[in-house]
Amino acid sequence: MRALQWEGVNKLAVGTVPDPELRNPGDVIVRVTRTVTCGSDLHLLGGYIPFMEKGDVLGHEFLGEIVEAGPDVRNHRVGDRVVVSSFISCGNCWYCDQKLYSLCENGNTNPAITETLWGHAPSGCFGYSHAMGGNAGSHAEYIRVPFADVGAFTVPDAVSDERALFASDSASTGWMGADLGGVKPGDVVAVWGAGAVGQMAARAATLLGAARVIVIDRLENRLQQVEQHIGAETLNYEQTDVGGELRERSGGRGPDVCIEAVGMEAHAPGAQFAYDQIKQQLRLQTDRPIAVREAIHACRKGGSVFVLGVYAGFVDKFPLGALMNKGLTVRGAQMHGQRYIPMLLDRMAKGELVTEHLATHVLPLDRAPEGYRMFKEKEDGCVRAVFLP
Amino acid sequence: MNRTGKLLLTAAPIAAGAAAAVAVKRRRARRPAARRRHVVTVFKPRFELESTQLPGSLSEIADQLEITLAEAPGGRGTEIAVRIRDNATVTDGHVRRALRETQSLIETGDVLLPSGPPTTRPTLLNRPLQMATQHGREGGLL
Repeated sequence: MRALQWEGVNKLAVGTVPDPELRNPGDVIVRVTRTVTCGSDLHLLGGYIPFMEKGDVLGHEFLGEIVEAGPDVRNHRVGDRVVVSSFISCGNCWYCDQKLYSLCENGNTNPAITETLWGHAPSGCFGYSHAMGGNAGSHAEYIRVPFADVGAFTVPDAVSDERALFASDSASTGWMGADLGGVKPGDVVAVWGAGAVGQMAARAATLLGAARVIVIDRLENRLQQVEQHIGAETLNYEQTDVGGELRERSGGRGPDVCIEAVGMEAHAPGAQFAYDQIKQQLRLQTDRPIAVREAIHACRKGGSVFVLGVYAGFVDKFPLGALMNKGLTVRGAQMHGQRYIPMLLDRMAKGELVTEHLATHVLPLDRAPEGYRMFKEKEDGCVRAVFLP
Repeated sequence: MNRTGKLLLTAAPIAAGAAAAVAVKRRRARRPAARRRHVVTVFKPRFELESTQLPGSLSEIADQLEITLAEAPGGRGTEIAVRIRDNATVTDGHVRRALRETQSLIETGDVLLPSGPPTTRPTLLNRPLQMATQHGREGGLL
């Protein structure tokens, strides 16, 4: 079959690879009909998460049709149109019982690397390096989905492929930031990053009853999407003092909940970016935590900061003093998709959650390297590139 | 230095650090004795585990181990603690793998296998990572 493969740092190619096989009785094989780029893929592409092998298939956010099912699969059958959570979870361990699915004990075949790096291992993810299990990704004609009864969800007839696709990861991740960040009716919520995840977090905050939701970015086309499709306020950090503006818009208190949806390759005007970039390139830190710093500083006393952006290792100048003295709660997670996808599909069917506008570029799989270039460089207003295998 | 070179420079510490840490763990795993216990908590009540033999490869090496079961607090299941007996031939790596497989068998009835067939190609740069992932359930901190 054809698949998009990681060939080295900043090198992608579409090649021919063996078709995936059922390996466990709870597996299904899905014929991928839509698969989409994610900002976190850029960390793999750029070599910031250095656990890729030449030939690995990328992609973790997808939708398709089941074409083969293992003997233990009970909830699905061949022909089902399914959207699949990007994290692989067994559904039976204590973490899954707590609905912390990305912390599943049995979904990562290679826990040694992350356990050594971080103390404990998260679960496995599709197409996200050998630290996350080395699972083949979705930018391919077919993909093997383990624990399919837990991680694959039948898409209701009322929801189009174009909309359902983003339940796989972006919408689930964004919703988790608002939910576990503790958004309550009447809250002021600030979201750093107007990509797909940030937009979904903002929409989730609105649907959970926030009084004001403010999204921060530098890309005007994305901020326009926020205003048009998400119904939230915006701030361009290149044109205004974000901290001052957030204080003013929250009665001087600061946002109750701050959601960071940027990650380890954050940008900023001025000296801070240069400082972080130099330290990152000199191996003195692995991630650029610019948005997290700003969120902690802006957040109201006793407020909550949720880190949705992907980070790999260590950061410098982390504002621990502000965190402690302001009594903040800081939390983060990879996405617990199985917890949210059924509810998200229901909201998509009702029209409460729209996602089609995120797919600014739709390309055949053979043009995936071009799609990633456009996505990475934000060419032509690219928010997400969707591939059709 | 070009961008690729810079990024490799950035990525190298994480990769080298992790690979070295895994390698150290594996070297430690080959050392005999100097034993601490390996402990895992499985999400299953103690009485269910005591009424039957533990599944998986743990039972195959049980004669070289001291295995104790204790109820985990807060309804978290059962703690399985393993100490390798003096003069045993099994390694810490064997025990980690056996405990992880046993946990998965108890909780899911199966042990997840990696994707396949492989799509990757061996290169000089891949070798440390491939060595680490070939022993993915033996390393770590368990």
